[in-house]
Amino acid sequence: MAEQDRTQELQAALEQALAGDMPVAIRGGGSRAHFNLAPGDNPLSAAAHRGVIDYQPDELMLRVRAGTPIAELETLLAAEGQRFAADIPQPAEHSTIGGAIACGWDGPARPAGMSLRDTVLGCRMLNGRGQLVSFGGQVMKNVAGYDLSRLQVGALGTLGVLLDVSLRLLPQPECTENRSFTVSAAQLPDWWEKLRALRPLLRASCFVGTSGSVDAGGLMEGKLHLRLSGRKSALKAALQKLGGEPSAFDWRALRNLRHEFFSAPQLACVVLPHFAELDIPLEETLIDWEGARIWVPNGDGVALQRAAAKRGGFVRVLRGPTLPVANGAGDWPRRIKDAFDPRGLFNRELFNTYFGGGQACR
Amino acid sequence: MNNNSSQLLHKLRQLLPRERLLTEREQLAPFESDALPVYCERPLAVALAESEEEIVTVARLCGEHRVPLVSRGAGTGLSAGAKPHGRGILLVTAPMDRILAINTHSLTARLQPGVPNLQISQVAVRHGLFYAPDPSSQIACSIGGNVAENAGGVHCLKYGVTVHNVVGLRLVTWDGEILTFGGECLAQPGYDLLALVHGSEGCLGIVSEITVKLTRVPAETRTLMADFASIGAAADAVSAIVRAGVVPAALEMMDALVISATEAFCQAGYDLDAAAILLIDLDGDPLEVDAEAALVEAVLRKFQATRVQRAQDEDQRQRWWKGRKSAFPAIGRLVPDYYCIDGTVPRHRIGDVLQAIAEFAEGYRLRVANVFHAGDGNLHPIIMFDGREPDALERVEALAADILEYCIQVGGTITGEHGVGTEKFNQMAIQFGDAEIEQFLAVKNALDPHGLLNPDKLIPSLAHCREYRVLRKKHD
Repeated sequence: MAEQDRTQELQAALEQALAGDMPVAIRGGGSRAHFNLAPGDNPLSAAAHRGVIDYQPDELMLRVRAGTPIAELETLLAAEGQRFAADIPQPAEHSTIGGAIACGWDGPARPAGMSLRDTVLGCRMLNGRGQLVSFGGQVMKNVAGYDLSRLQVGALGTLGVLLDVSLRLLPQPECTENRSFTVSAAQLPDWWEKLRALRPLLRASCFVGTSGSVDAGGLMEGKLHLRLSGRKSALKAALQKLGGEPSAFDWRALRNLRHEFFSAPQLACVVLPHFAELDIPLEETLIDWEGARIWVPNGDGVALQRAAAKRGGFVRVLRGPTLPVANGAGDWPRRIKDAFDPRGLFNRELFNTYFGGGQACR
Repeated sequence: MNNNSSQLLHKLRQLLPRERLLTEREQLAPFESDALPVYCERPLAVALAESEEEIVTVARLCGEHRVPLVSRGAGTGLSAGAKPHGRGILLVTAPMDRILAINTHSLTARLQPGVPNLQISQVAVRHGLFYAPDPSSQIACSIGGNVAENAGGVHCLKYGVTVHNVVGLRLVTWDGEILTFGGECLAQPGYDLLALVHGSEGCLGIVSEITVKLTRVPAETRTLMADFASIGAAADAVSAIVRAGVVPAALEMMDALVISATEAFCQAGYDLDAAAILLIDLDGDPLEVDAEAALVEAVLRKFQATRVQRAQDEDQRQRWWKGRKSAFPAIGRLVPDYYCIDGTVPRHRIGDVLQAIAEFAEGYRLRVANVFHAGDGNLHPIIMFDGREPDALERVEALAADILEYCIQVGGTITGEHGVGTEKFNQMAIQFGDAEIEQFLAVKNALDPHGLLNPDKLIPSLAHCREYRVLRKKHD
């Protein structure tokens, strides 16, 4: 694996930007930019800052530079019978761990396990004063100081240049099996409930459906795919009870947003507290997170946002017109941004698009 | 009392009923400290809040009059994080103890901040659910305090600490604004302010409502106990279990001192000849638990356990755990005073850190008992002493400082779950450099611009840090 410590170069580039009051667009591999996340002009790339700093299988801990491709890390961990504790989407082979932290996205296995944010133990970064700062650490439990490392997850690089991150790992499951079921939309709510009982072994679930024929009353029908993992004996017994067809569903493509479903010109996901009908006619849909995340191609963003809000959820638009930010955090996002980046140099456009609208809700 | 304070008290008297605004000396006495009473101070007044509106009222008035505001729940904290401010108001949210809703679809519970931790599970169990983080004080400690400290517990190895189990918060700012972070979903848009608030020790705002994630009660829980002839062997077994691909629900260690103290206290059934005991919970699918129990037993034997037992029934299981949970009162019976600290180290360093602690203790003529969350590397050395001896507390504090700084040295941290509070204020200067402290202070200043919320806790000033570092250098 390529090893390169570019801390000094990144620090020098940042100092130059600070001296010239030049905004910078922090980027990694760029594999997520086309999901409404282009960081803007004047790029400061951390992609060359890569390599493993510390991997201790006994500690279930990996400390790694931000520009390291996730795929390479997965190979390294698998050789020791381990994996990331979170399910991390990788839109491209070269998708970096730093980019994953910046976006804070989670794959279909999120409900059964931890979010990426949950697995962050610490980080080192450059803040907007040009200072090199470290927060958290490499141990499992740590409450010294404010948790500024988890705050970086999903911050889209607006608070600083992430240099390295320490992540919690888990052992690989002993074995994994996939099953599929043909299911109509009307049966779905029962299925999501039923899956709860499978939880210790259920790794991920996903329904892919399209509007049914006129015969089916136009109702949506499709396939429910389940991924189970655990000890061999337990899995065997559970599968016998569960039934279903063996499945070749491509979970990797789903996690990495490379399933054909995600190629629509417009793409959004609705995140809900639990499965609920949206009362919006959909041509096709993909639902994961045990019903709590509904993917919608070519939907009306504003209508989706209204429907989501009514049910205690929110919408994330990955392709298509972005939506105004709606949250109850008051002016905290602006204040926190100022505390890290007083001159407002980092990823300005992303900040305005995704964090700037809080005031409207006061 | 200055003019500002008397005006504030005058207004508070108009807005809060008499029995919930305490100003008399004898009324204030029980609130002078949290569960670390070596640090105490009498506040100007204690306000007992019964609603979010009352929190808002108190915060707004304190903000207007620039009077410090310390908030607390049940006061079971172990780092003097809820020690009152001598010129400030102590706002107690313990009376807000209602479970507002349990949602069996989203598997969440919406709670007022004063709900005792254990009560959540006692109610949720009717739906086959429980709230996973289980600090030792769970009978008494409140969920609001758990958020402020990011509390952990015995079962955090598998289920995570408070921050992993909270999906939504309402928070009152220094000037009385109500903010909402997260909701009931497994994700949230915007900055992860839930993470920022957890462990912020009441320095950024006052938590007025919490939505927690509930977990399904596992179909099977099995407890194993292993005896070891040395602490080192037990410590090696801890790493080996994790390395073998098993994540136990709990993995706890006790040393000989704790074993004998708890045996005398509650007859848990521990082996008095063991130098160390590991107590291990495995839970989940029954067949999976079977497979993992066999795996763990094999590892324990390979790593020189002198005896490995499975709890035969629920009664035995409960007895074993009762011993673990009674460790502190059991030690308390042996000595006039004890002082518990809370560092985390990498698992593979547990053995040598325990060795170092014993050596440090000898140098200060003190004894240390160890009972801790071995799976997380989260140590809780209990320093035993007699406060009546003239220099005892000084020696204890010096030993605690040495232990915490050794934790930092081996790649760990000064606190895993008890918080910094007043107690570890100095050690922050050792764990962090000026740049980090400056960043912490910038966040604090951005969200509490007049420094009114729990002043002089958690983050020391740069000047304080520099002073302490000089002092420690002299000590070396």
